[in-house]
Amino acid sequence: MIASLRSRIDGWFLSRRPPSDTLELTQRNVYIVPTRAGWTLAATLLVLLIASINYQLNLGYLLTFLLAGSVAVGMHVCHATLRGLAMHLTPPDAHYAGAAAVFRVVLHNTRRSVRYGIGMAVRGSGQWGWTDVPAEGTSTVEIAFKPERRGLHPVPPLTAETRFPLGTFRVWTVWRPAAQMLVYPTPEAHPPPLPPGEPFSGPAATSAALRSQSAGEYDGLRAYRRGDPLKLVVWKKAARAQATGSEELVSRDMQQTQREELWLDAQATSLVDPEARASRLCAWVLMADRLGVDYGIRIAGRVVQPSQGEAHRRACLEALALC
Amino acid sequence: MNKFRREIAALPRDARDTLFLLSVIALIVLPQAENLPWWCTAITAMVLVWRGTLAIEARPLPSKWWRAGLLVLAVAATFATHRTLLGRDPGVTLVVVLLALKTLELRARRDAFVLFFLGFFAMLTNFFYSQSLMTAFTMLLALLGLLTALINAHMPVGKPPLMQAARTAGWMALLGAPIMLALFLLFPRFAPLWGTPSDAMAGRTGLSNTMRVGTIAELALDDSIAARIKFDNGRAPPQSQMYFRGPVLTQFDGREWTALPPWARGAQSAANLRTSGAPVRYEITLEPNHRPWLLTLDAAQSAPEAPGFEVTGTPDLQWIANRPVSDLVRYRAESYTQFLSGPTRQTGALRSYLALPPGLNPRTAALAAEMRAQPELANADTPAFVRAAMQRLRTGGYTYTLEPGVYGANTADEFWFDRKEGFCEHIASAFVVLMRGLGIPARIVTGYQGGELNSVDDYWILRQSDAHAWTEVWQEGMGWVRVDPTAAVSPGRVGQSQRLAPQPGLFAGAIGAMSPTLSQNVRAAWEAVNNSWNQWVLNYTQSRQLNLLKSIGFEAPSLEDLAYVLLYLLVGASLAGAAWTLWERSQHDPWLRLLGQARTRLAKAGLKMPETAPPRQMAAQAEARFGPAAGAVRDWLLKLEAQRYAKASPASLAALRSEFRRLNWPALNPRR
Repeated sequence: MIASLRSRIDGWFLSRRPPSDTLELTQRNVYIVPTRAGWTLAATLLVLLIASINYQLNLGYLLTFLLAGSVAVGMHVCHATLRGLAMHLTPPDAHYAGAAAVFRVVLHNTRRSVRYGIGMAVRGSGQWGWTDVPAEGTSTVEIAFKPERRGLHPVPPLTAETRFPLGTFRVWTVWRPAAQMLVYPTPEAHPPPLPPGEPFSGPAATSAALRSQSAGEYDGLRAYRRGDPLKLVVWKKAARAQATGSEELVSRDMQQTQREELWLDAQATSLVDPEARASRLCAWVLMADRLGVDYGIRIAGRVVQPSQGEAHRRACLEALALC
Repeated sequence: MNKFRREIAALPRDARDTLFLLSVIALIVLPQAENLPWWCTAITAMVLVWRGTLAIEARPLPSKWWRAGLLVLAVAATFATHRTLLGRDPGVTLVVVLLALKTLELRARRDAFVLFFLGFFAMLTNFFYSQSLMTAFTMLLALLGLLTALINAHMPVGKPPLMQAARTAGWMALLGAPIMLALFLLFPRFAPLWGTPSDAMAGRTGLSNTMRVGTIAELALDDSIAARIKFDNGRAPPQSQMYFRGPVLTQFDGREWTALPPWARGAQSAANLRTSGAPVRYEITLEPNHRPWLLTLDAAQSAPEAPGFEVTGTPDLQWIANRPVSDLVRYRAESYTQFLSGPTRQTGALRSYLALPPGLNPRTAALAAEMRAQPELANADTPAFVRAAMQRLRTGGYTYTLEPGVYGANTADEFWFDRKEGFCEHIASAFVVLMRGLGIPARIVTGYQGGELNSVDDYWILRQSDAHAWTEVWQEGMGWVRVDPTAAVSPGRVGQSQRLAPQPGLFAGAIGAMSPTLSQNVRAAWEAVNNSWNQWVLNYTQSRQLNLLKSIGFEAPSLEDLAYVLLYLLVGASLAGAAWTLWERSQHDPWLRLLGQARTRLAKAGLKMPETAPPRQMAAQAEARFGPAAGAVRDWLLKLEAQRYAKASPASLAALRSEFRRLNWPALNPRR
């Protein structure tokens, strides 16, 4: 009950913040409350005051009031540590679900003094990255975050906090970045070999045929299957693959050279769970990319025509992330 | 020393921070070491050293059984020492021990916080024993140390130098000082909430309500200050008349003199004080003695004006406050050095001044009988007997000494006949016994005699070593007359205030050997500083608070007015804070500000540019307009650009700013 109320208040609070990739911290978006240590110090001050009154210690009054004055100044210093700071989010690169993502936040300090002990974290994660921001300088904090699900997510709300200098107050801000984060599916750990090629079809068939004429006889490539003669193995590619740490071999697909192309099809995975399908297709995309063959994907109505290269791989992974 | 510093610098941060905190704790505990039970000091020192060694050698902390064991031991020892765990002194002992033991589990930040708060409390406990300037200075240092440690604990990145945290702590304390001052001046001073506990009296030296023969001799070695006196217009009476009246002792049991119980004293009117001459007006600052009497110069006709006290007089001319003087108190009084008091005719009340313990001092009684029988003293009056007794003291080979040895049961007999030496209380006691043996009412007055003028601030200083005992004898037609038998034995003791000075310490001795006046001057200056500390800080009481309000325009100030002023100050400070925040918000990015300054400067030279022009464009236009003369400006603008946009900035904004000031700007008349 209370938890749900709290999360609703939380949601309302967050929705009031306009999303933005830079945030200037001002009086309006920096909050301050005493910490538990702050309350304890307040109690200590009270005890000191009572002792001073009861034993009529003028020096005790001086001590109590000097401490109280310092704490009051500390409150201001604490608030000023965040106030006036500007934060810029470097939009995170796309990455795979389940792997740690890193946001980089650049903190700009325009003041002529150092801001000490600023912690940043994904809100509610409790995993703080600490930094000092030099005077009239910048500093970069890396915030680790582990997205669970594939897809296009908004960057989770971030929070910056400081307890400098006395730890008696907690000053914090909440920041809703506008940037979005693409999360690819987790590649399957031990995927089966790539599926066999398919005969050319449609307009692609003619273009592929044209290409094969100009480029020579080896156009069809497939993963090595047991029983393939050794002379069919493309040793150049095998060496390159080995250099990157994989043991996969590729065979020339002599018979199907002109007639087949590699389609990574969700249907071909023979899996039912869409997540598992996406996962396997992701692993296949990575495998095909490593092999340097043309490949296309078909999943949930999305089709990416066969091609290769970095941009193509991204397009495929994006299709997998968003399907 | 340098090697030591390098070793400290080479320690890992944890060890360094721990060592720093330990030394701050040592600084807090050290000043009260002499007031703590010896075992408490020993355990504290041992634990601190132990913890420091663990930190340096990076060894694990002791198990909780160690801590529990030491705690049980400390609590048991506290109970054994004080017979209770409640009250001030056991509390202080426990706080110090807890502070030391807590360092043994100094791991998490929470533990550190507990340590800090105990530390602040332990600092306050120092003030129970001393509020001197020296203590204040030490505790200021300790407060800054604790703040430094606290700030350092909140700098989580890397290994920041302690100096950095110390600087922040210093700034915070400096900025907090006005708040402290306002609160100190205006926070209403209340009476003690539940009364000063009785154990606050323990361990104090000074005069007391009783005088065992030998107690004042102990005080003679005590150099501490009992009171300070400032005479109006600097008009002090001659030193020989400076008798400051403390307890008057009437009852004698053979060893110990005690004052009459309050109910036996009667009303103040019985004092029947008759004064002559001009009064002496003065202000006394009395050090806390935890006794209710207020010291006055003999004799004060009206009650001293002591704020916060109700003062009543007694028939024996003492002024008694309604509560013990547990803190420095300042009061004004008016005294007449020429006075007579008491009944002029024999009354029944005088009989209590004749009582002697039965069976003791037989030889003194015999001496009295012998004197009565002497033909030249036949029908003699009181002054004649006093003269005779004084004559005996002067000529009978009696000496004044600080170490008269231990007296037996018949103290008067031993003084008159056997030892013939003693301190003022031996002499006064023996004198009163003789007078009473003669049938003359007599009593002992204790207090302070003499004093010393501090030439730096013109305050007279009474030390415990000025404690003195003299006598008063009753005379028909006159009343009580002061007789100081010590003056007969050692004329120098009274008047010129010749002290039996204790051996000077090693340091004082060394200074004294170099220049005898130097040490005196240094001491006088130091005590003057201390005195102004007392006058301005320690003696800041409710009445002075209200006087402050009066001086800023309140006609009849009360505690409520104090609260109002405090509230106004608070509101004013908040408004100032709000204004400052607004001002701060209007302050833009310093880089843009600097660029704006450059733009203004170029406009002055005749080159106007839109506010949107970036530095590179400004540099290009400046060069086009002014040619090579603008080379330096162009370079500077490009550096400014790089500062903002380059990956690794070549110069800091501060450097650019100072360069801007030195820059050679192109002249006003442009190249045409």
